[in-house]
Amino acid sequence: MTEAKPLIDMRDITVSFGVVRALRGVNFELHPGEVHALLGQNGAGKSTLIKVLSGVYQRDSGDVLIHGEQTQFKSAQDSRESGIAMVYQDLSLVPTMTVAANLFLGREPHGPLNLIRNRGLVSKAQAYLDEQGFPVKANASVDSLPFAYRQLTEIAKALMGEIKILVLDEPTSALSAGEEEILFEAVEEVTKRGVGVVYVTHRLHEVFRISDRVTVLRDGLNAGTFETADITMETLVQAIVGPGHEKMTQSTLSFEEGQRRSALLDASSEQVDVPPVIELRDVTNDRLNRVRLKVRPGEIFGLAGMVGSGRTEILETMFGLRRTVEGELLYQGEAVAWRSPAPAIRSGVALIPEDRHLQGLVLSDTISANVALPQLRGLTKFGMFARRESNRRAKSAVSELNVKAPGIVTKLEDLSGGNQQKVVFGKWLTPEPKLLLLDEPTVGVDVGARDEIYGIIRRFAQAGCAVVVISSDLVELEMLCDNIAVVHDGRIITTVHTSEIEGEEGLHQLVQESAR
Amino acid sequence: MSTTTPEAPATVGDSRVNPVKAMLKSDRPYTVFAALIVLVVFFSVLSPVFFSAANFANIGRQTTLVTIMAVGMTFVIISAEIDLSVASILKLSGVCAALFMQNFGENWVLGAVVGLAVGTFIGLINGLLTTRLGIPSFLVTLGMLGVAKGLAFVITDTAPVLIDNTAFFKVFYEGTILGLPIPIIWTAAVLTIGGVLLHFTTFGRKVYATGGNAVAARYSGINTSRVKIYCFMLSGLLAGVASLIFAAQAHAARPDFADGLELDVIAAVILGGTSLFGGRGTIIGTFIGSLIIGVLNNGLVIIGVSSSWQIAVKGLIIILAVAFSARKR
Ligand SMILES: Nc1ncnc2c1ncn2[C@@H]1O[C@H](COP(=O)(O)OP(=O)(O)OP(=O)(O)O)[C@@H](O)[C@H]1O
Ligand SMILES: [Mg+2]
Repeated sequence: MTEAKPLIDMRDITVSFGVVRALRGVNFELHPGEVHALLGQNGAGKSTLIKVLSGVYQRDSGDVLIHGEQTQFKSAQDSRESGIAMVYQDLSLVPTMTVAANLFLGREPHGPLNLIRNRGLVSKAQAYLDEQGFPVKANASVDSLPFAYRQLTEIAKALMGEIKILVLDEPTSALSAGEEEILFEAVEEVTKRGVGVVYVTHRLHEVFRISDRVTVLRDGLNAGTFETADITMETLVQAIVGPGHEKMTQSTLSFEEGQRRSALLDASSEQVDVPPVIELRDVTNDRLNRVRLKVRPGEIFGLAGMVGSGRTEILETMFGLRRTVEGELLYQGEAVAWRSPAPAIRSGVALIPEDRHLQGLVLSDTISANVALPQLRGLTKFGMFARRESNRRAKSAVSELNVKAPGIVTKLEDLSGGNQQKVVFGKWLTPEPKLLLLDEPTVGVDVGARDEIYGIIRRFAQAGCAVVVISSDLVELEMLCDNIAVVHDGRIITTVHTSEIEGEEGLHQLVQESAR
Repeated sequence: MSTTTPEAPATVGDSRVNPVKAMLKSDRPYTVFAALIVLVVFFSVLSPVFFSAANFANIGRQTTLVTIMAVGMTFVIISAEIDLSVASILKLSGVCAALFMQNFGENWVLGAVVGLAVGTFIGLINGLLTTRLGIPSFLVTLGMLGVAKGLAFVITDTAPVLIDNTAFFKVFYEGTILGLPIPIIWTAAVLTIGGVLLHFTTFGRKVYATGGNAVAARYSGINTSRVKIYCFMLSGLLAGVASLIFAAQAHAARPDFADGLELDVIAAVILGGTSLFGGRGTIIGTFIGSLIIGVLNNGLVIIGVSSSWQIAVKGLIIILAVAFSARKR
C-alpha cells in the first residue's frame, strides 16, 4: 500500500452549462481516512464538482484519478460500483416505497428462485438502523416521513455496503444538534476503516467539529485549501465570501443586535396594548395538543424542538393547511377557520416551507413564474396576467436576495440548491406579509445570503410584521428571536424570553429536557 | 491562495447563449416545426398533388377536429392529467345537439348550446371524479369513454341523427369568411383564445403551476382541484365545438364515427412538446403537432399508402418524436 496515493485526485476540472461556467479549473484531493470539507457560497460549484465525481455530470476537461487511476464514470451506477457512496443535497429516495425497500434498492436479499424476500427485508433493515443508531422505522413509507427523517434514511442508505469514499452534500440541513451527532459518529466510524469523506456544508461549526481539511470554492475556482486545525472561523468566512465582503458577516458572528432589538420591543409593547397578529388558544388537531401562543406585531417568535416534535405542524395550522379541531385560531383578533392556504395568503400570511422541492417551488418553471405564484390575484388586470409587473418583482427579488442566475427566465431546476432557497424567499417579498412563517429558512443558504435573509426578517419585523421561525440551528434561533417556545410531541413545553436563556447551551438543554 | 478575482456572476438579461443549442433545449417547438417542414417537403417530392393550395385547404379542414380538441387536451395535460374521453364526448354532444334540433323546431342556436353544454358537463364530471375522489384521470376518463359512447348509442338507437338546417351547416362547416373556409376560422379562433388563456392570463399561470408541482401550487394559495376541473371542462367544451363542426360536415350526428380520435389528439399535443408529466407545453406547439398529424393523414393517402400501413407509420412517427423530445431533457 502506498500511503501517498490519494483516494481522489481531481485536476483542473471544468464544466459549463450553456453560458454558466460552473467549474473553471478546480483541483481537489481526498486521502484515506480523511474528512475533507468542501465549502463555498451558493452556486460556487460544490454540487457540480461532486456530480462530476459520481458521473452524474460529465466534465468538459480535466482529470479524475481514483486510487491513482484515470477514470471517467458514465453514470452514478458506475461510481457506486467502485465504492463511492453519495448523499445528495436534494434527496433521491423513492417516496412511495418503504424505508427498508429504499435501503436495499438494487441489492435486495434474494431467496430461492431468486425472488426477493420481503419479510427479511424489513427486519434486516431495522436491525441495521438500530445498530447504527438511526431513529427511523424500517417499514414506514418514505413519503410519510418528515424531511429530516428522510435525510437520515438517505445517510443510512449511503453508509450501507462496502464503501471507500463517502460524499455528503449538505446532509444535515434539516437536522438538529442531537440528530447531527448520529451522523458525526457514523462518519467517525467509517473513517477509522480508511474511508475518505467529502463533506459539503454551510454550517461552519460542523467544519471544525469533524473535518481534517477544508477546501473552499469561489465562483468555480479554488479559493484555498487549509488544515482545519490551522484556521479560525474568521479566515474561513473570509475565504468563502472573498475580498471586499468583510462586513457582511458581522451579525452572523454576534448575538448583540438581536438582543438589543428584543429590549426595544419589550419597552414599546408594554405601553401600547396591540392585539397579537396570531393567537392560538388551546388549538388541538390530529398532531397538536392544546397549543397556546401569541405573536405580536414586530415580534420574532421561535419554535425549537426535535425532528417530528410538531413544530412544522404548528406553522401548517396557522397557514390553513391543517384544521383546528378544538380551540381557537385568532388572526388579528378575529377567530378564523381557514381550510386552505388561499384565504390565509389573502389576509397577509406567508409560509416558507421546509422542503423547497416538494412544497416551495415549481422546478420546471422560471424564477419569474415562481415568484409570481402566491400573488396571482394581485397580478391580474382584466383577467390578464400582468407580465411586466411580475417581471419587475422577480428582478427586484433576484437583486435583493443576490440570486445567482443568468436571468429571471432561468428555470429553477438549473439553479444551485441555495439559490433555489432564495427564490422561495423571493415569493413573499411583495406585498409585505403581516405574518411571516419560516420553516428552516436558511437551509442550504451560504453565510452571506444568510445575513441578507436575517436582514429581511428583521426589516419585516421592524415594519410591524409578526414572524414565527422554526430552526434546527439553535444559534440562529437565539440570535433572531424575542421569545422561543420549546415544542415536544405536539405540545408547547415552555416559552422563554431570549434574554432568560444562557447561550446556545442553555437552549440546547431545554430542548433535550423537553424530550424526556 | 488563489489570486484570480472571480468573474462577476452573469447578470440578468445576459444572452451569450449558443442559439442552436438553446433552440434544441427550449420549450418552444422549433424541432417539431422543422419536422413539419421535412414532412411537407417529403410528400411534395413524392406527389405533385400534395403541394397545392387546394390540398392545403383540405388539410386545414381535415385537421380542424384534432386541432380544436388538442387545445383543450393541452390544458388537461399541462395540469398533469389526461382526458381519454374526448372522442366519446364528441359523439354524445353531437347526437344531443342533433336530436334537440330534430325535436325542438330546428333552432340551431339552441341545438349548438345543448351540444356545448353536454360536452362541458361531462368535462365537469371527469374533473370532479378525478379531484374529489382522487381517482387517476386515466381511469376516470377511460370509464367515461365507454359511458359517453354507450349513451350516444342508446339515445340514438345506433342510427345516425340527420340534420336539415342550412344555417347550421353554414355556421359550422360550409360557409366562408374572406374566402377562408369556416372550419379554418373556427380553428384559428380556438387557437387564439386558447393561446391567450394559457399564456397571458392568471389562469394559465395556475395551470402550469398545478401541473409542475401541485403541492407547491397549493402552498402558494392555488386551488389546484378547481384548476383541474376547469381544464377538464374546457376539454369537454372544445370536444363539443368539434362535434358541431363534425355534424355540420356530415349533415348528421353519427355515434359510430370518430372512434380512436383521442389518440390523434393526444399525439398532436405530445408531438407539440407538451410534457405528459405536466407543467410544460405551448399552444403553438400543439398547433404544429396537429398539423403534423394532419399532414401525415393526408400525405399518406395521397402517396397511396394502404390504410393499414398508415396506422403503423403514424404510430412509429409518434414514438420517434416522443423519444426525441424525451432525450433533450
Ligand atoms: N443543470 C444546470 N443547468 C444550468 N446551470 C446549472 C445547472 N446546475 C448548476 N448550474 C449552475 O452552476 C453553478 C454551480 O452550481 P452548484 O450546484 O455546483 O453550486 P453549489 O456550490 O452546490 O451551491 P449551493 O450551496 O447553493 O448548493 C450555479 O451557478 C448554478 O446555477
Ligand atoms: Mg449544492
